Amino acid sequence: MRTKAIIAVISLSTLAAVAVSAAEHPGKEYIEKNGYKGPETCETCHPDTARKFLDTVHWKHASRVTNVDNLDPKQEYGMKNRIYTMCNGNDIVNNLKEIPRNAEGKTKFSGCNTCHPGNHLSDVGSSGKEAEKAIDCLVCHSSSYDFRQRKPSKDEQGRVVMGQDRSTKAALSITKPTVKNCMVCHESAGGGVLVKRGFAFNADTDAHAAKGMTCVDCHKTKDHKIPTGFDPNNWANDGVHLSCVSCHTEKPHKDEAYNRHTARIACQTCHIPRTGGAVAKDFTKWEKGSDGFYEPTTLKKEANETVPVYAWYNKTVSNTPHFIGPKGSRKDKSSKIYPFKIFMGKAFYNQKDGKLLSMDFAPPMATGDTLAGVASAAKTLGIKDYKPVPGWQTIYFGSNHLVTKSKALNCVNCHGVNGVLNFKALGYSDKEISKLTNPEIYFGFMIKKQQEEW
Amino acid sequence: MKKTVSIIMALTLMALGTVSFSRVASAEEVKMIGVIQKIDLAAGGKSATATLKDNKSGKSVAISITDDLTLDKFKDHRIVEGDEIRCKYETEGGKNHSKLFRKTAGC
Repeated sequence: MRTKAIIAVISLSTLAAVAVSAAEHPGKEYIEKNGYKGPETCETCHPDTARKFLDTVHWKHASRVTNVDNLDPKQEYGMKNRIYTMCNGNDIVNNLKEIPRNAEGKTKFSGCNTCHPGNHLSDVGSSGKEAEKAIDCLVCHSSSYDFRQRKPSKDEQGRVVMGQDRSTKAALSITKPTVKNCMVCHESAGGGVLVKRGFAFNADTDAHAAKGMTCVDCHKTKDHKIPTGFDPNNWANDGVHLSCVSCHTEKPHKDEAYNRHTARIACQTCHIPRTGGAVAKDFTKWEKGSDGFYEPTTLKKEANETVPVYAWYNKTVSNTPHFIGPKGSRKDKSSKIYPFKIFMGKAFYNQKDGKLLSMDFAPPMATGDTLAGVASAAKTLGIKDYKPVPGWQTIYFGSNHLVTKSKALNCVNCHGVNGVLNFKALGYSDKEISKLTNPEIYFGFMIKKQQEEW
Repeated sequence: MKKTVSIIMALTLMALGTVSFSRVASAEEVKMIGVIQKIDLAAGGKSATATLKDNKSGKSVAISITDDLTLDKFKDHRIVEGDEIRCKYETEGGKNHSKLFRKTAGC
């Protein structure tokens, strides 16, 4: 009897400890007593984590890329150095700095690497002990981060430094990254909220968010290496990938009719019927804002406001100066039909070699002079022989969020007359299309579904 | 007598028409870009009023905010006074209720 009581007490104590540990990050007393001193405090319990973090995409903003055409396999690519028309600048040419004064005499800090989790003195891709000390662990791991602290300023030597909230209060709110932590940077990429990828991750717009899931429930990390999908326009990766199948299996439906589709139709095609965000941007003409600064002219759309384009994709990418998008075909058995958000960007090309030129945003932001931005970037990159001419680039963005179950496409959405799939463009003959769009193919199944639902 | 009743009825109908029309008009969504002059977070943090200076008219407009996402951005200072905001609101009961409230800036 006594033994049973002891076992019960031990079990309850263990359960209580687990419950406490689930709610609260251990080490509270240590932080309260010693204060928070940056990564060295975290390393008390997580040794060598800072060094390893320096080898991730979040720090380097680049990685080797093996599935994209016309890249050097020995080089690393990403936000650090890419030149394309969603972000015509990059961390190198559009490094965080104080921009020239505008006509009203005002200046401000601006740069692509504003979101980098360092202090800017230790910047994108930096290494060594100073870089390890500069990591802003709490911007991703605190639920009480005070963003007033995370502002750029100049130190006594005139260097631009990015501030951090290293308060004990923020450190006592350590957590696995929440949706907010991720969205601080990821929702405002590309020049504004929901501009680049155009998805909001909340209960109204995503089935996973509606179930209370967070970003890292799917993007499960190991050693800060974050798995991603195969977005044709998201090149840098930590060498780990995820897909819907990781959780949902290859045959996730109750109806075998739907399961038959999964061999050639990606889950996203039916379960992400809408896209959003910017559809076009012009880097050759910037608009003047109320504050007297200029921004690239951008045609914006809300999450769920646009419809995707569907194409075959085998997870390899065509990359030319005027097109970045999926490769694949009906005949290629490794290809599936995926939905994409199409974006078109106008920027300056070098007439002499046909390549896209990049832009330092500081000059046009102050004066609207976009060619001055091209000249500044060319100088940084050592490009002397160039003649800028405007041109358009088409980019296919992967459409992997805004997941829905209740509004997923059904048979009629694709096989009905005027369905969402352009079978001709997808490589089907007129005879095949006639068969694919005949009600015979879906009528009985849909009637049965209708009877079940009503 | 008949004339008086007719006049009263006509005036009543006009008044009703005006009220119902203004209700329809006030429920319309208004789009605005403006700079935040002041943020007043209510005790308990369940609502806030942000006063924006409309870029076009120069007028100050008080917007009532109740969505958790924006309130959270006020609390941790991701949105602060001086930020330029793209806003949609509807006027009801004399209050401008926010339907969309986002910073215009990004990276």
